[in-house]
Amino acid sequence: MDGIDFHIQPSAPEPIYRQIVEQVRRLVAGGQLAPGDVLPSVREVAATHAINPMTVSKAYSLLETEGVLERLRGKGMAVAARPAAAAEDARWALIAPALQAVARQARELELAPGEVLARLMRTMEETSE
Amino acid sequence: MKPVVVEHAIASADSKAPLVAAGLTRRYGQREVLSNVTLRLEPGQVLGLLGRNGAGKTTLIQCLLGLCAPDEGESWLWGTPSLALTDGIKQRLGYVAQTPEAFGWMTISEMLDFVAPFYPQWDHDYVRRVRERGGISVGKPLAKLSPGERQQAAIIRALAPRPDLLVLDEPAAALDPVARRALLRDIAEHAASWGCTVLYSTHIVSDLDRIASHVAILHHGKLLLHEELDALKERHLRLHVPAAIAAGLEPSLSGELSRHRLDDGALRLLLLCAPEAGLPAALDVPEVRRETLTLDDLFVEVAG
Repeated sequence: MDGIDFHIQPSAPEPIYRQIVEQVRRLVAGGQLAPGDVLPSVREVAATHAINPMTVSKAYSLLETEGVLERLRGKGMAVAARPAAAAEDARWALIAPALQAVARQARELELAPGEVLARLMRTMEETSE
Repeated sequence: MKPVVVEHAIASADSKAPLVAAGLTRRYGQREVLSNVTLRLEPGQVLGLLGRNGAGKTTLIQCLLGLCAPDEGESWLWGTPSLALTDGIKQRLGYVAQTPEAFGWMTISEMLDFVAPFYPQWDHDYVRRVRERGGISVGKPLAKLSPGERQQAAIIRALAPRPDLLVLDEPAAALDPVARRALLRDIAEHAASWGCTVLYSTHIVSDLDRIASHVAILHHGKLLLHEELDALKERHLRLHVPAAIAAGLEPSLSGELSRHRLDDGALRLLLLCAPEAGLPAALDVPEVRRETLTLDDLFVEVAG
């Protein structure tokens, strides 16, 4: 993974450090980042996106506290080894806000739950092709 | 719009703080261009000073650097009064004025070669890199360059000595998007490499989003808000309250910053609330749509 792989929107309401935290959590939970994989250095991420390095440090430190990352001596940050059950829970926790948003909007639009579910399944099939 | 309560750290002379201002007030005739501004920067902070044109940003910076005297109040750089800065303090300071005019008869290379020997920590490597990056005509005297080029030359001159405190007055105003991005990257790198403290004034919100650790909003000479950028984004919420719920709402809620009643009786509320405290019970229902704010939105709500 390189610094450029982070998708960062500086002007979004969500603080930049949170954007980084969320992306790393998602990549780790989804398996795109495996235990032991080394993350790009603070300096590289900051330089690539022209953002404050302290923001990147803050995100990495938070992920370290959560146990998602671990600090390797002299090599920077790497994905920590995690039990499989925790990873499953973490994946559901990550998608929960999106599911809640869909549920709320569907209710506002008075769409039938069964129909929403069917369309979601169809959408997932289409995007996986 | 209600006044925002700005929480001040105790402001007084402090040799550790790169910059402290206490109650700065400056008048031009009857007009008060700065009103009781109190501010404190800790080492390593990157403060974005946001304000509309004419808000008093340049006057504030000039007072802080001792370039003009306030009518009331005082300010210090590392505990030394702004109006009595020593050469030792000036060596640690980098400043880029809004319209740089110094050394107009020299080319950029002549200017940089001329000033470099004055600074023991001069960063030759950085100067070489920005020269290679191009974007500035090397053959013409500075006075003949475009405003953007002159501004870049002044920024290089301010960054190369590796200052401990960097003060930039609307540095990106004349720069094109490419040069602006490069400037932000340079500032961020300097702040990280040797803990340089930065004060950066602008009216362009998107310049701050990337590099600021803190944001202050100056409006009609008053400091309306001074907070960590991340906390600012996390604590402000805009709520859309439908008429049925709006009717039963108290006239003033805790943390309420503004309230707009729409034609159909619905309300648009701007609230400041700590994430852990949550919303008032009456508003914590699915019918109330909540929206987080961008820095842009906030600036318009506060200073619009």
